[in-house]
Amino acid sequence: MAASMLCRRSAKLSVIFREISVAKCLTPGNSHSGLLLQVANYNPKPLKLNLKDPYIPDKSREKTPEWQKTAKYDRKLFGRYGLASGIDPEELWPSPDQLEAMIAEEKEWQPSLEKMLANIAVKEKEKAKKLQAREKLIAANMAKMPKMVEDWRREIRDQKVKKKEDKLRRDRLLAEARARFGYALDPRSQKFKDMVKDIEKEESRKRKQLKRRKKEEEMAGAAKVTEAPSTPVTP
Amino acid sequence: MSVSKTPGGKALDVLKSLPRITLANLRPNPGARQRERKRGRGAHGGSKSGRGHKGERQRGNRPRLGFEGGQTPFYLVIPKYGYNEGHSRRPQYQPLSLKRLQYLIDLGRVDTSQPIDLTQLVNGRGVTVQPLKRDYGVQLVEEGADLFAAKINIEVQRATEGAIAAIERNGGVITTSFYDPISLEILCKPVPFFLRGQPIPKRMLPGEDMVPFYMDAKNRGYLADPEKIQQARKELAQKYGYVLPDISKDEIHRMLAMRKDPRQIFFGLSPGWVVNMAEKKILKPTDEKLLRYYNS
Repeated sequence: MAASMLCRRSAKLSVIFREISVAKCLTPGNSHSGLLLQVANYNPKPLKLNLKDPYIPDKSREKTPEWQKTAKYDRKLFGRYGLASGIDPEELWPSPDQLEAMIAEEKEWQPSLEKMLANIAVKEKEKAKKLQAREKLIAANMAKMPKMVEDWRREIRDQKVKKKEDKLRRDRLLAEARARFGYALDPRSQKFKDMVKDIEKEESRKRKQLKRRKKEEEMAGAAKVTEAPSTPVTP
Repeated sequence: MSVSKTPGGKALDVLKSLPRITLANLRPNPGARQRERKRGRGAHGGSKSGRGHKGERQRGNRPRLGFEGGQTPFYLVIPKYGYNEGHSRRPQYQPLSLKRLQYLIDLGRVDTSQPIDLTQLVNGRGVTVQPLKRDYGVQLVEEGADLFAAKINIEVQRATEGAIAAIERNGGVITTSFYDPISLEILCKPVPFFLRGQPIPKRMLPGEDMVPFYMDAKNRGYLADPEKIQQARKELAQKYGYVLPDISKDEIHRMLAMRKDPRQIFFGLSPGWVVNMAEKKILKPTDEKLLRYYNS
């Protein structure tokens, strides 16, 4: 199994699975309730490492190509021939500078699990907030909806009524013009418009007269009321 | 006497007395070799040589592939749409059906007495994974779930709910874990990696988009909480209607409980070790900085 420092999770797992001491030894075939399962032996292809006649390039010669003097090639030589390749095993691992570079790169590009979880939490929060704001807006607008629908319906009704009234008014005016002038007058002509103006003037005069009369009546009524208490006072 | 003196009978005598095999004595079986019909030769291959009569066909002047005589061709009529946009950034998982897994187990190509890993599947030639073609591993698919009957400890990269149920119904253990492309290549082909002479690298953690998947107990992710996994096992058993077998009372429960550390690529090998195939030795670093890096 892996080194103890890496075993944290597997140790945790075996706690959950409740270890029991295994008394009898296990044979590979007996794991299936008595049935003996044949396992095909894995016969790999021969590796052909050529250990008897290895080619290890001479680094001091200039004729050897550059790529055979690199650290990567040294590692490959070691991987193929082992210690017989004459390479110090220390060269296989990164040097202190390279190690520092690797650590820095990992810090920058590979955040730890906690950081990633924090980022995910932040993003989820943002999404939830946006969603909530949207829902709120929708709810508010939906609450306004009945009133808006009512307003609109009233608006439509008023427009209809107004249209009808206008039509009636137009018909009345046309009839009036016909009666006055004796022929069907074009509503766009100047005569018609003048006639309309006159009618309007008369209407307004009548309205004003009505208003004045109403005011006078009110004044008269008020004066009568004020006079009534004063008369008994005179001896 | 018609009895032969040599053991083996008269047939062997006859065989011994026949002349030696040479090219002059050999002939293929009738019907084994079929004569090739060469163009432009003979009564049937000659004359127009299979080119047709006049026109672009005979004269070899046909227009390009897809041309429809001036009508807007099919490949231009269909509007563009980004179906394959970003395809090279999408992780792919090679499907492995439970039917195939059972087939491999039955033939003995995969050993059920040890934890089953992607390495074991590739060694048994059960799946072919191409890390360079955006493959991120293997996904377990529930084709053949009703025929599946094997108690295994399997580790894949993705698994459908039905597949998880089928494995756990038979008393097995399934884990989904993440391998970054470099680790995946090492996992699939360990021997060429060991011949490179490099120390085993640490397995990287999944990216932010995959962390929630591997932390979810429902997917049996390797980063998930073990208690939640137990809970999820019970819930799945209830959902699919089977009795969840108790693994802790099993004989092989130690093997079934074997799991890799999140930074480990191979069972029994830590990051930082160098495996040498020539001398069959493992070299471990002793420098504390290296140890700290590889064990972090």
